Amino acid sequence: MAIAQAGSGGYVSRPRPSGLADVIDIILDKGLVLDVYVRVSLIGIEILTIDARIVIASVDTYLRFAEAVNRLDLQATDESQGLPELMESITEGGAKSKTKGALEGAKEKLGIGGDDEEEEESRPRRRRSSQRSRSRKSDDE
Amino acid sequence: MTGVYLYGIASASERIDVEAPGVGGPDTAVRRVVHGELAALVSEVEIGPLTAARDLRAHWRVLEEAASSATVLPVRFGTILENDDALVAEFMAPRHDRLVAQLAELSGKVQLNVKCFYDEDKLLRNVVRGSPAIARLNERVRGKPEAATYYERIQLGELVAGEVEQTRVRDAALVMERLEPLAVAARNEAPNTSDSAVNAAFLVERAKLDEFSAAVTALTSEVEDRMRLRYIGPLPPYSFAEEETAAWA
Repeated sequence: MAIAQAGSGGYVSRPRPSGLADVIDIILDKGLVLDVYVRVSLIGIEILTIDARIVIASVDTYLRFAEAVNRLDLQATDESQGLPELMESITEGGAKSKTKGALEGAKEKLGIGGDDEEEEESRPRRRRSSQRSRSRKSDDE
Repeated sequence: MTGVYLYGIASASERIDVEAPGVGGPDTAVRRVVHGELAALVSEVEIGPLTAARDLRAHWRVLEEAASSATVLPVRFGTILENDDALVAEFMAPRHDRLVAQLAELSGKVQLNVKCFYDEDKLLRNVVRGSPAIARLNERVRGKPEAATYYERIQLGELVAGEVEQTRVRDAALVMERLEPLAVAARNEAPNTSDSAVNAAFLVERAKLDEFSAAVTALTSEVEDRMRLRYIGPLPPYSFAEEETAAWA
């Protein structure tokens, strides 16, 4: 079960039922909403949906962008040259990991893995994730 | 204490069989609560904290299965009512006619999402190349100690962030221009990750699915030098069930 990675070429790509990781933002954030008093909020979930929306424009973000741009090797004509290293550094410490962190963090918290991850995770992981959400929530309150 | 977990609303006249287990565990059966022309898809649930990953997946599976054979208005994840009577009295009865109308409107249509992602490296490279001011500042800051260039680096980052945002707006406009004419409705959601360029939901007639897919394929080629596309669906109309209700509230 995979998302249609729409590619170029002669064929027409078709949409397919996607992995949970691909629709999690839609499921958490969309759909008919009942009046608040009949809803039971789930541990962590309210926080997660808020987290996922935060893409901050702050000094921190700016500094990370600057760092990422500084690291670009603008002379390189071969695009693949030095790219893995660059991407790694951006991913680890740069703008990407910071701003991407929210939704990725949400996925991690929910025990949802990569694109094609399917079906149940191991129990311990699940339990740990819900505990983390809980402590997180109380921190925030 | 148990409650009633609500997945979605369908028309009572459409046959829906959901075999996927519901929220709460593998033995949870999904059933219907019928009121007038509406059928609510529900299952019993123990009131208390749900296990997020498992229950999110169950919610999603139930709706996927139900929507494969019928029109279903998805309800937001985590919606639990006291019992069947409360479901009818507080939700189905007061909104009966509007929900029936909305189901009729969405009948025969599916939601398709198109998410576009930037390759951060290519994106930033283009930004630097496209702006002499950024290129100059970048050269000035480069290789100098961080502490000595703190404010310049903030300025550089701010300029870059601004350019990135403008690129995003342009690319979103392009995606909407290409795909919106083929859809009944479209919604451009805010990107939620830093590499996310466009995050758009389209409501498309089932009969037009192939045409829409062809347009997505063409768009993929058109932007492949700078963006990666993900084409997701068909989904129940999550993004289009929402607005009407919000307006009633």
